[in-house]
Amino acid sequence: MEIAPALQIVLFAVFAAISVLGALGMATTMSMFRSGVFLMASFFGVAALFLLLLADLLSLLQVMMYLGGMLVMILFMVLFSSDPGGSMMAGMMTMTRVEKAFSRGLSRPSPMATPHGAGGGMDMAAGHDMSMTTPARKWARHFGWAVAVVLSGALVLRPVARATERALPDPRSPERIGDLLMGKYMIAFEGAGLLILLGIFGAVLLARPSERPDPEDRGHLRAAVDAPPPPPEEG
Amino acid sequence: MGVAPALAWTIALSGGGAALAHAVERGLRRTMPDVDPGPAAPVQIGVERAPAQTDPWFYSAAPAIALFGVALALVVIPFGGQLVGADLEVGAFYYLVVLDFVSLAIALGGWGANTPDAVEACYRAVAQLVAYVVPLGLAVIGPLMMARTLSTVAIVEAQHRAGLWYVVAQPVGFALYIATGAMQGYRAPFTEPFASQIHGGVLAAYGGAQALVWRVALSALLFTIAAMGAVLFLGGYAGPIGGPIGMGLKTLGVLVLIVLAGRFFRARSTAETLALSWKVLVPVGLLNVGLVGSLILLGVGQSAFR
Repeated sequence: MEIAPALQIVLFAVFAAISVLGALGMATTMSMFRSGVFLMASFFGVAALFLLLLADLLSLLQVMMYLGGMLVMILFMVLFSSDPGGSMMAGMMTMTRVEKAFSRGLSRPSPMATPHGAGGGMDMAAGHDMSMTTPARKWARHFGWAVAVVLSGALVLRPVARATERALPDPRSPERIGDLLMGKYMIAFEGAGLLILLGIFGAVLLARPSERPDPEDRGHLRAAVDAPPPPPEEG
Repeated sequence: MGVAPALAWTIALSGGGAALAHAVERGLRRTMPDVDPGPAAPVQIGVERAPAQTDPWFYSAAPAIALFGVALALVVIPFGGQLVGADLEVGAFYYLVVLDFVSLAIALGGWGANTPDAVEACYRAVAQLVAYVVPLGLAVIGPLMMARTLSTVAIVEAQHRAGLWYVVAQPVGFALYIATGAMQGYRAPFTEPFASQIHGGVLAAYGGAQALVWRVALSALLFTIAAMGAVLFLGGYAGPIGGPIGMGLKTLGVLVLIVLAGRFFRARSTAETLALSWKVLVPVGLLNVGLVGSLILLGVGQSAFR
């Protein structure tokens, strides 16, 4: 489908903004869950850019991979973090303006948090050090700017030839990608398949109940796991 | 179709499909009072709900994202040779991808509402996504292989040309589609993310207009799954009763089949759903792909002009 050049530029700006703001939100929000969803949004912005380049299959693959993958990743991340919703951090940290913008609506008064600075240079909440400032932060900021300048410079000056302009959109791209995967790149494709299969074997092996008896000091943990769940509350 | 008519058609189809699915499902549920209605349970449209500690962005965006995903999927479902929002080259694959936005919406809504039941629903919905996505793909691959295309209109045309509904050639694939369709639509026996034990999960946290949007999205979801089943396995809009009416009747048939099948199985927990998916449905799906490949080599479902 032909899109008018002006509309193309507008759409590019919108999708590029989604990808960049998503990445920025991922790095600055206080909520782990939001962080993962922002990363997903950033990848969806890139998928929309693929669509603008008429690479529809690639765009759909990108959405498919990152929608399910990110959701599962977020859930595991939530399982292992003490403040996944970010309410504690947002409620007590001194945040920069960007961090505040991407953490809006998270903050709520927490009885466990101490005011900022009361912990003697550390931000303490429920006995955890929640400080976000590390010694590396100062030069990391400069390093980040330097990378951004180099990448933008490379994009503007374009030392490589613009090969994409000559390539025409291919209506039979699924077929061609399939041929390439099963022909030219078969070894790599099957190799990746084997690797994933071995990963599944490993996961099954880890999930099997152990044949060795639990150590003495883990008995109470095992009892807690095996105990029947409490009856659901009525009402 | 142009952009504006396609947009109008998709909106009309979402609303009409949701109304039809809701009415049919409600009628059928009367006959099966013991089965957990899951997402078909009544929502609280008359009550305003405001959970105390929401993540406001996700909480307010979730129902819209669910409806958005279903409407996107309805774009590629043909109700006539010309009566389709957009006949994409990669239509069937696109359908599989965009319908996952409903799972994303339930996860966002559950986490955003931040009540114990809703967060539980968030976890269950993501686990169910993992359970259904692979066997559903394997069930859909069968018709794609036989029709040698990803376009939904071309799949219908291929069945018409070959004079064969793919349900005849691939009964196993059709059964697999019904089972994974029930998982994808959260219908019995896979109602766990909306189970009555957690008071309807995400639905309990919403009221007013947002609850209405959830109602439309979840009913339209069932309609979409049934319509895609009709396209892939029952010859779509081509057939003895052609056009939109025939397609509507076939969709209704698949819809009734999915809902009624739920009464013959006890409700499955999320863990049981995952176990069923990986231990039974995925192997059956792989066998089905092999079977369909052999049938294609024997010339089944292939028209003479290929």
